[in-house]
This record gives sequence, structure tokens and C-alpha cells, in this order.
Amino acid sequence: METEAKPGLPIDTAKSGLPVNETKHSRLADAAKPGHLLEVEAVSCGYGGEDIVRQVSFFVQGHENLCLLGPNGCGKTTLLRAICGLLPLTGGRVRLEGTDITRMKRRDIARSIAMMSQLTTVQFSYTVRETVMLGRYVRLKGGMFDAPAREDHRKVMECLDAVEMADLSERPIDSLSGGQLQRVFLARTLAQEPRIILLDEPTNHLDLRHQIELVDHLVKWSEADGRCIIGVLHDIGLAARLADRLLLMRNGEIVADGGMRDVLDGGLLNQVYGLDVKAYMRQMLQIWE
Amino acid sequence: MKWRKQSTRTSTDLLKNPANGGNKRVMDGVAGSGKGAAILFTLFCAAGILILGIGIGSVYVTPGTILGIAGNRFLGFGLPAGIDDITVSLVWKLRFPRVLMAFIVGAGLGASGTVMQSVLRNPLASSYTLGVSAGAALGAGVMMITGFTIPFLGRLSLPLVGLLSGLLTVFLAVSFAARMDRSMSNNTIILAGMVFSLFINAILTLVSAMSRDQMQQLIFWQMGSFSLKDWTQVSMLATITVAGLLVLFRFNRELDMIVFGEEQARAMGVDLKRVKWILLGVSAALTGSAVAFSGIIGFIDLIAPHVTRKVFGSSHRYVIPMSALFGGAFMVLADLAARTILSPIELPVGAVTAFIGAPFFAWVYFGRNRKGGA
Repeated sequence: METEAKPGLPIDTAKSGLPVNETKHSRLADAAKPGHLLEVEAVSCGYGGEDIVRQVSFFVQGHENLCLLGPNGCGKTTLLRAICGLLPLTGGRVRLEGTDITRMKRRDIARSIAMMSQLTTVQFSYTVRETVMLGRYVRLKGGMFDAPAREDHRKVMECLDAVEMADLSERPIDSLSGGQLQRVFLARTLAQEPRIILLDEPTNHLDLRHQIELVDHLVKWSEADGRCIIGVLHDIGLAARLADRLLLMRNGEIVADGGMRDVLDGGLLNQVYGLDVKAYMRQMLQIWE
Repeated sequence: MKWRKQSTRTSTDLLKNPANGGNKRVMDGVAGSGKGAAILFTLFCAAGILILGIGIGSVYVTPGTILGIAGNRFLGFGLPAGIDDITVSLVWKLRFPRVLMAFIVGAGLGASGTVMQSVLRNPLASSYTLGVSAGAALGAGVMMITGFTIPFLGRLSLPLVGLLSGLLTVFLAVSFAARMDRSMSNNTIILAGMVFSLFINAILTLVSAMSRDQMQQLIFWQMGSFSLKDWTQVSMLATITVAGLLVLFRFNRELDMIVFGEEQARAMGVDLKRVKWILLGVSAALTGSAVAFSGIIGFIDLIAPHVTRKVFGSSHRYVIPMSALFGGAFMVLADLAARTILSPIELPVGAVTAFIGAPFFAWVYFGRNRKGGA
């Protein structure tokens, strides 16, 4: 796969215009088909015998970021849980680089796929460094007590550095602010050295600035070759900032899959959310005009 | 890393708050060196309490004498002059086994309490909630009433049956929970444990009501005591406890991850079901063997983890060994109080642990400034 950085990522577009990126998607369309990083094939799954996700299929290349959009209860989180094997499938198949993940051990899945969830309060006191080290679990060499090696310590500091938390490495996490804490959890996710990061609304409970910060850290991470992010974000603006490709879901099915403009097309979005999204956004912008 | 090196000015740079750079390194290093000092202090205290526990009694024995005898017996040094045979025999045959037994039982209870609380993510969970004590008591009760002993085991049959019936109860409770709820959620496990506990307690009450002759013996056994322990029992329990503690410690990382949430732990690569079974089983075995040898002694498994976390933080690398150390030392003190306060009458140690423990726990948990302890 080519190593070029993602073109036109809307990192600096906050002031320059629409944070929409289409070049990437059109490039993907003619990319060679073999070697999908992740294949989700007719996946159905749910809880208590009822399928929340029905017959969902999509393929992911090693260099694109996806965002799942859709109203509450449409199965986005359920789909994420199925992708990393936390939820048994009732139908279909998830393949990670060609291997069916139901045949993989938890440990092996976690070496490739990491999951970052929404911010939860912590009432226990680990230091920042200890917390990030937990992400190294699947990378530790083994041995009776799995002591972290020098390499692991180096990696932990590198990840803390990447999220600009290195200076706080000895702080107890229960003394951090929400934004800092979520960056620590991002560092922990990065320390796992995955190829795919699944995001389950990690920006919830963060203020606007910290939301953007977090998404930008993630975008930066995904710039290296062979990495991809599959995110569930409620905020369409953040989704556009993160993703090259959007999957719009409704009632457990994918109703649109494509670049920003295709999917954010007013009509479809309004239908799915039952709300005139464009008018709402316009209204919002009028405040400044 | 490649993506770090890119020098494009990102919005993250734009957003960077200059205030972030301020009081950064204040906490650096403090936590590390403070922990080391606290560990040393705890070790020192525990050793002091052990010697105190052995020294105090109907006859006071000086620390020097105790160390002399210990050196002679454990390490084969010559016995220091001026120590008579009666003292040697008192210290070596009575006090040492008793105090060590108390220490080992306390250590096992402390560590298993920690693990139960963490695995079940419930600050009140313990092996007792899962039915270990009820099962062990029923097993022991049946043994006492029937007068049955296992051939060749003699006096050791009672602890063995106690241990096995305690373990069996937990196994049944957890299997039941797993059957009812495939994901083995903590609430299901705890509720199943309570159902089994209550049910078995009811059987025990019925059984003991029907055999009044053994009732008193059973009640005394349940209240817990460290009297009349010998080196065979001590070494047996020590073997089980040390092995159990090592296994629990082996899973310190998994425990840390579980504390953050089961889903997250699985996503980070923990084989949750397997780990849960192992940890619940080993903790139950630790408590079960402690109960089997010394009766049902409560409270230590509740307070040891809480106090230890206050001082050493939440990382199980510290909390497991330190809660064992704390539990052991605390139990020695409780036993010391139990046999000296109203000497020659001996109080049930289970009552003493709660009697000293409850106010102490309240002081540690509610009394001090939260920040200082964390």
C-alpha cells in the first residue's frame, strides 16, 4: 500500500471552509481490491435473541477512516462490539486480514484492534503511566509475571508524548480533568499498537475544544500506512473531521456508504434523523453572520 | 513514530493551552519514592507486630530471645546463652505457630478480599458473600455431628472437609450464575452467591438445632480461634496460601484492567471468563482454607483492600502483596488482643477483628482527608 499522507485532511480547515474531504474517497474507488484490512460480511448480531444489526456488509482498506452515523439505537455500537469480537454474531462473518475473528484468540484480536470508549469517571488511583502501561498487555513478552521490558516503558512514554501528556506521567488519574483523562485513555489505546482503532463516542462529555483535540490526535495517528479508524461519533462535524468515508445506519442496516458529500446529502440525512439537519446547521451558522 | 514527526501546524497546536505547561512536574517522583518508603514502613511494622505477638502473653518474652530462638530453629544458628528450655518450648511450640497461623490466615483473607472486590467490581464483595463460609461451616458441622474423620488425616480431616465444602459452594454458585447469565455478570454472581449462602445457612441452622450436643462446639468453631495450632497445620496452610498469593499476583495486570471495566479489559486482550474463573476459584480457596483452619473470621477481607488502596493506590502490583501484609499484621494484633485483654479468658478473634477494625476502618476511610490517602 502506498505511504502517502492522507491528502486534504481538514486539520486546518476550521477557518478555511468546509471540513469535507472527497479526494481520498475517489482515490479509494480505483484502489486495488485485494488485501482488505477488515471485511464485514452480512453481519447480524444483537442481544437476547433479537438482531440489532442486520446483514451489514462493508470492507475497509488499511488507509481510510470510517465513521458510522445514525440515530440512537440504530446499532452502531453493537456493530463495533461485533467487529472486535466482543459480541457473538448471529450471522455473517468478520475477517481481519483474511482471518475469521471467531477463530482468533482475544489476545490476537487485541493486537490488531483496539477500542476506545466514552469517558467514564474513575474513582481509583492509578498513575498516568500505570494506566497507559495496561495497554501494553498484549505486547508483553510473557514469562511468569509479565514484567514490562525497557521497550514497553519507552513505548508508553512515546504514546504519552504523542498526546502531550508525558509531563503528567506520574500524576494519579483521579486528579485529571476529563480532557486529560481521555487523552490518557487514547495513549493507552495507542500503546496497544493496533492497526484498527474503534471509537465508541470517545468525545462524549468533553468540551468542544477537547473534542477537536482528541479527534485531531486520532487523525494524526491514522496517517501512517496500514492504519484505520472506525468511529461512532454523534457530532457530524467531528465525523467529517475524522473520516474519509461515512456509513449511515438506520434500524440496524447501512443505508448509505460513501464520501462526505454523498452521505451528507441533505435528503437522506434528514430522512434518517427525522430532522432537517441542514437547516439546523444553517441556523447555527447564522449566529455568526 | 512517523505521525509524531510531521511538522505541519495542526489545529492541535493552535489549541494548545499555555496554561498546560505550568505546574507539571510537581507530582513527579513524589509518588514513586513515597510508595517505596511506605512499603518499607509497612514491612517494618509487620515484623514488629509479629515479634510483639510472639512476645506478649502470660509470660513476656523479649524480642532478642525470640530472634535468638527463630535463628536457631529456622537458620540453624546456635541458641544464644541464657535461654532456658521452657522458654524455647513456649515460644517454639505455642506462640510461634499461633502467631504465624494468625498472620497467614490474615494474609490470605486480605489478599482474597482484594481480588474479590476487584473481580466483582464491588467494594463489599468477598469470598463470604459467595458462600465460602456457609459451605465450610456446613461441611465442618456435619463432620462434628457425625464424628467422621478421613482415614490417615485425623485432625486434618476437619479443615480439609471445610475447605472442600466451601469451594464446592462457590463453584456451585458461580456455575449457577454462569448458567443463568451467559456473560457471567457480577451482579448475577453476587446474587447467586447470596442465594446459596442463605440456603446453606438455613440447612446449617436446621442441622445444628437437631443436634444440640455439638452445637456449642460448632458455634465456637465458627467464631474463630488460633489456639492449639501446631507446625503441621501452619506449614500446610502456609503452602496453600503462598501458592494462592502467587497465582493472584500473577494476574495483577488483568485485575488492573478489569477494574477499568470488563468490556475494556476484553478489548485489551483479557480472556475475561477464564481469568474470572481462576481468580474467583483461587480467592475462594484462600478464604476457604483460612476458614477451615481457624473458623469464620470476618472484616479483614473487607478492610485490608480499602486501607491498602488508600495508601498505595489501586495498582494490584502493590495492593495484592500489601493487603496480604496488612491483613496478616492486623490479624496478629487482633489475636493478641483476643487472648490478652481479659486473660485468661480468650475472646473470639472474629469479634475482636470487627471490634478494633470497625472504628479503625471508619477513621481511615472517612476520617482523613481523601487527598492525603490517595
